[in-house]
Amino acid sequence: MSDIPTPERHPDIPSRRRQELAALGGPWLEALTASAVAIVLTDALLPDDPILHVNPAFEALTGYPAAEALGRNCRFLQPEPAETEARARIREALATDAPVTADLLNRRRDGERFWNRISIATIRDGHGAPAFRLATQADVSSEYADDPAARELRASRRSLAEVQERLRVVQSVAGAAGAWEWDIASKRLVADARFASIYGLDAATAASGLPTAAFFAAVHEEDRMRLRIAVAGALHGAEVFARDYRVVVDGEIRWVAARGRTYLDAAERPLRFAGVLTDITDQRKVEERLHIAQTAGEVGSFEYVAGYGTAEVSEQFCRLLGLRPAQSLPVRTINALVHPEDPALIQNRDGRISSGTASHEFRITRADTGEERWLASRGEYRAGLAGGTIFTGVIYDITTTKRSEAALRLLTEKLEERVEERTQERDRLWNLSRDLLNVIGPDGRLRAVNPAWTRLLGHDEAELIGTSIEALTHPEDAATARSHLAHLLHGEAIAEFDIRMRTKGGDPRWVSWTVVPEGGAIYGIGRDVTQRKLLEDQLRQSQKMEAVGQLTGGIAHDFNNMLTGILGGIDMVRRRVSQGRLDDVDRFLEAAMQSGQRAAALTHRLLAFSRRQTLDSRPLDVAVLVRSIEDLLRRTLGEQIELVIDMGPDLWSAVADDNQLESAILNLAINSRDAMPDGGRLTIGGRNVHLSATDLAHSDRGEAGDYVEIRVADTGLGMPADVLAKAFDPFYTTKPQGQGTGLGLSMVYGFIQQSRGDVMIESREGSGTTIRLFLPRHHGAPDETPAKPRAAALPGTGETVLVIEDDPAVRLLVLQVLQELGYRAIETADERDAVPILQSARHLDLLISDVGLPGMSGRRLAEIARASRPGLPVLFMTGYAREAADQAQFLDAGMEIITKPFAVDELGQRVNRILRTKGMAGPSSE
Amino acid sequence: METTVLIVDDSKLARIVVGKVVAALQPDWQRLEAGNADEAVAVIAAKPVDVVIIDFNMPGRDGLDLAEELRGRFPAMPIAVATANIQDEIVDRARAANATFIAKPVTEEGARGFISGAALRLRAPRP
Amino acid sequence: MSDHVVPLEEMERDALTELVNIGVSRAAASLRKMAGQQVLLSVPSLEVVTRGGAATLIRERESGDLVAVRQDFEGVFSGRALLIFPESNSMALVRAVAGSALSDAEAAEMEDEALTETGNVVLNSCLATMANMLQRPLTMSLPQVVRGNGVGLFELMQVSTEEGGVVLFLYINFAINDRDIRGYIAMLMDLPSLQALRLLITEFIRRVIGDEV
Ligand SMILES: Cc1cc2nc3c(=O)[nH]c(=O)nc-3n(C[C@H](O)[C@H](O)[C@H](O)COP(=O)(O)O)c2cc1C
Repeated sequence: MSDIPTPERHPDIPSRRRQELAALGGPWLEALTASAVAIVLTDALLPDDPILHVNPAFEALTGYPAAEALGRNCRFLQPEPAETEARARIREALATDAPVTADLLNRRRDGERFWNRISIATIRDGHGAPAFRLATQADVSSEYADDPAARELRASRRSLAEVQERLRVVQSVAGAAGAWEWDIASKRLVADARFASIYGLDAATAASGLPTAAFFAAVHEEDRMRLRIAVAGALHGAEVFARDYRVVVDGEIRWVAARGRTYLDAAERPLRFAGVLTDITDQRKVEERLHIAQTAGEVGSFEYVAGYGTAEVSEQFCRLLGLRPAQSLPVRTINALVHPEDPALIQNRDGRISSGTASHEFRITRADTGEERWLASRGEYRAGLAGGTIFTGVIYDITTTKRSEAALRLLTEKLEERVEERTQERDRLWNLSRDLLNVIGPDGRLRAVNPAWTRLLGHDEAELIGTSIEALTHPEDAATARSHLAHLLHGEAIAEFDIRMRTKGGDPRWVSWTVVPEGGAIYGIGRDVTQRKLLEDQLRQSQKMEAVGQLTGGIAHDFNNMLTGILGGIDMVRRRVSQGRLDDVDRFLEAAMQSGQRAAALTHRLLAFSRRQTLDSRPLDVAVLVRSIEDLLRRTLGEQIELVIDMGPDLWSAVADDNQLESAILNLAINSRDAMPDGGRLTIGGRNVHLSATDLAHSDRGEAGDYVEIRVADTGLGMPADVLAKAFDPFYTTKPQGQGTGLGLSMVYGFIQQSRGDVMIESREGSGTTIRLFLPRHHGAPDETPAKPRAAALPGTGETVLVIEDDPAVRLLVLQVLQELGYRAIETADERDAVPILQSARHLDLLISDVGLPGMSGRRLAEIARASRPGLPVLFMTGYAREAADQAQFLDAGMEIITKPFAVDELGQRVNRILRTKGMAGPSSE
Repeated sequence: METTVLIVDDSKLARIVVGKVVAALQPDWQRLEAGNADEAVAVIAAKPVDVVIIDFNMPGRDGLDLAEELRGRFPAMPIAVATANIQDEIVDRARAANATFIAKPVTEEGARGFISGAALRLRAPRP
Repeated sequence: MSDHVVPLEEMERDALTELVNIGVSRAAASLRKMAGQQVLLSVPSLEVVTRGGAATLIRERESGDLVAVRQDFEGVFSGRALLIFPESNSMALVRAVAGSALSDAEAAEMEDEALTETGNVVLNSCLATMANMLQRPLTMSLPQVVRGNGVGLFELMQVSTEEGGVVLFLYINFAINDRDIRGYIAMLMDLPSLQALRLLITEFIRRVIGDEV
């Protein structure tokens, strides 16, 4: 993801320029950057228009990552220096700052030529002087190509390669999908390890090829025939293959989704049938539950992307409108059913609203019966990853509530007259209504309740009359109920709110109240919405899953770029080495290293966001930590910004990972600095606080109790409400639009949540931002462990190290390091090789193992080792392991963990230190 | 001597596409067009025609009918039937009439075999 | 829902869907060659509905005007195949398939003619492939262009005269990459031939399953 340059990444671009750009460019620049149109921005103030910014679409079009384009003139895309009419035209236009469009023959990074249609415009500053130039690019080669077939071939080759690459990357990143390839002529099936593990096959056999019958062997009997038919279709030339089915391995049933394609040879005969397999058992469960809940609760869901003519809808949605079930419906069809005086069901067709929630009520005429019904819709706007606004929501029928409301109004009028004058009809309504109806006196106690109270909550009328409403409310909502009641008693108009009521059995029920004060008494009508609340939770969950999907796509793209950098660099080195030219090998290696580090930074960010990073949480003194980075902070902030450190007395010690906390504070300070281009004051404060459950309502794992608060407050520009709302959103913050919100906020958020704390943010445009981090209190004194010694790797003295690692590349690297340092290394890939050695009498000084191994996990292997060699030191290596996220729980004494990717030196130092401490601690284990 | 090819198809677009393909493969050939079977017969009566490419699905008589008639009259003439109707029956009937089957959409690739074969046959000394 | 009838077994449905999938893939390959562009296909949907039901299915999806090329087929099973797309896409499609062969003006002049030929090629490849898979010949009528809104199209599409007959309705969405062109390939089949089709499908299942491994 290439962003508008941030100072961390591009120290050469002054932050002032970035802010000017954001101010001039505004939202359309944001939109363009996120769109599929390739764009380039150059600095018109510097000579020869150096590139300031390119977007991901540009990177995709040209193959050049942003880092390689920045600072250069766009001319580098031209393969020949020859003068052309188009270039002359561009030069002329630039000289007069006039807009220009021209087609130029350009070269992609991989050498392929393409015709680039460039449209350049000049952006002027507030005084009308040229400040930036903006260009859009488009591949128009097809207009220049002569032979459509050749064109097609080229295009499909490129996209195929792209798809495969993406697939491979997503697979290895997510570790989730298995891949298969079915050679039609030779009737062989080749599958990867993941596929083999889902199907319960042996990975090595699957990789070397199986008879194709293996594709069906593990399939659930009831699904097998249908799968065979679908496969038969694919083998006879059907392009699209998509099937969900069950696989039975060792009696356990898993749901899988298989998606595939048939590839044809030149004569259009089917050649290969290949695809990917994903385990969707969990997803399926959620979907099933959601489906049941939706149909039972009669809630229909929909999703609409602004600007489109159709909306994605659920079956129940169609049913509520009286339409036939469909997956998508034209917005016109939907809205035509809504009463002309009521708000449209699908709004925001022009995408003007981009965030926030929306709820409205409206009448519809059912398409099938012509009956009029009241529906309510609740939904949420959010920005789509590919631009545009997505509106997701649910609808449900509220006709009876509406009728009851009308009845309640009637009732209220009549009650004013005289109670004895109730008509029979009103009695019936009162008695039969499914909704709770009641009258509350000025003392806040129930005066009259209808039988629905007893039906829903179990208390009988006698128990209820005279009871205060508060006593019937769930304790956590009592405060809300009290405050609404108080306002109503003061004569404030109608109130609507949802609270949980207490049933006789003690279970809470969600009730949605509409309450009206009238002549000193309060009239209420309440509807049971427990079901709907559950659904809303589930909806949120399903949205989260979708976000993960979108994220995966974005990451695949980024990783592709980085992998290109790495692989390309290594390939160049290999070529140079084979030519015996070593002069600029360093340069390529450096480029590969940089790409690699970028990739490592990205995974790190992702893990932090998903709260899965490996944290080394231990007691620490916040004041000491802040003082230790004070110098660094001052240097980062510069002279224009005053740094005030304000640590309260007797600060408790807190529990957190000190490295992560340092980087969180640094990140926040950098954001603050960027928000104060003209200088200001940054305050870092610390104090002890007590947080209640309500305070922690938004925290993932925080519990009521004592916390240490770290406050980072600046006097900068602040954020407008809509930015604030999205401040922790990774999609938003990875594309920062200039001020305030830096890259790191989502990371900080993830880290603090994982540390069982909470983050709060306050900001107003023009009056600064305050971010409060709450870390749980540690009961006891902070650890006195001194800072880790960082010695250079010392050579070993022939100690024996057992290495267990399934990835051959990593294994090779580790072995190499160990050998170079003078250790004796034994190489194993998994438990099959390792266990016999661990259980043998062989002398071992250290065990180094990957955590996530294909068979037995590294942790299990360590236990086996310890069974016969109690003191054996263990060093785990991990990229990400769920169990290792909390080190304190994962590790026993004498065990350590090193996170991948690691530098060669770092590994050497760790091994060295472990063996030295062990040497001091006692005799080596046999 | 100049070679003349007759393209028989009720669709003007199809005639243009086939014409372009022929022009790309044999720029020197002269191209004639007919919109149905009867027109084709009339053209052949009026001018010498060496090669015929016929669409199958046409109003009036279908293309295989025409191919069979022409085969009766010109045993050695290179004839092709071009259609998207790739049913085995159609392919077999074309074969039985000693006509080449070309699948639509007609591309250079698809027509190359027939056109170069026809060119070779025509260049051979005539009996 | 009274206009939904399901006389097909799940397995037969699957087989029929695959059959159409194979036919349409071939049709897409033809379209791809004509347009010189990537053509993307959806998974086919198959429903057994009344005639009225088929009209509703399209009407609820498309509210604007449509163009369709239709072709009737007859043989051991009979019905009608349609290539349908929004009227607003029509010229773009013509330009995509006529490509450099025609100037814009010529293309506009020949719009209907070009649509007919496109429909002819696409529908023929699809139906012929299906006939080959089932090993039964089909006769196809000349293609014809029809315009109108969803309702209009389907009122014209009374294949047989019987009222309230049940039809098999199959459709696939397609989109042409790089150009904003989308549409459907739809197929409507009569009930009598539906029964004939069932027998064929059973045969087909036996055959394709037999030679897949
Ligand atoms: C904003 C901007 C974007 C440009 N994008 C491209 C591009 O994508 N490809 C290209 O060949 N030239 C591009 N150019 C044009 C070249 O940078 C340069 O101006 C042009 O080649 C004429 O100058 P020259 O003849 O001195 O090289 C762009 C120029 C500007 C100002």
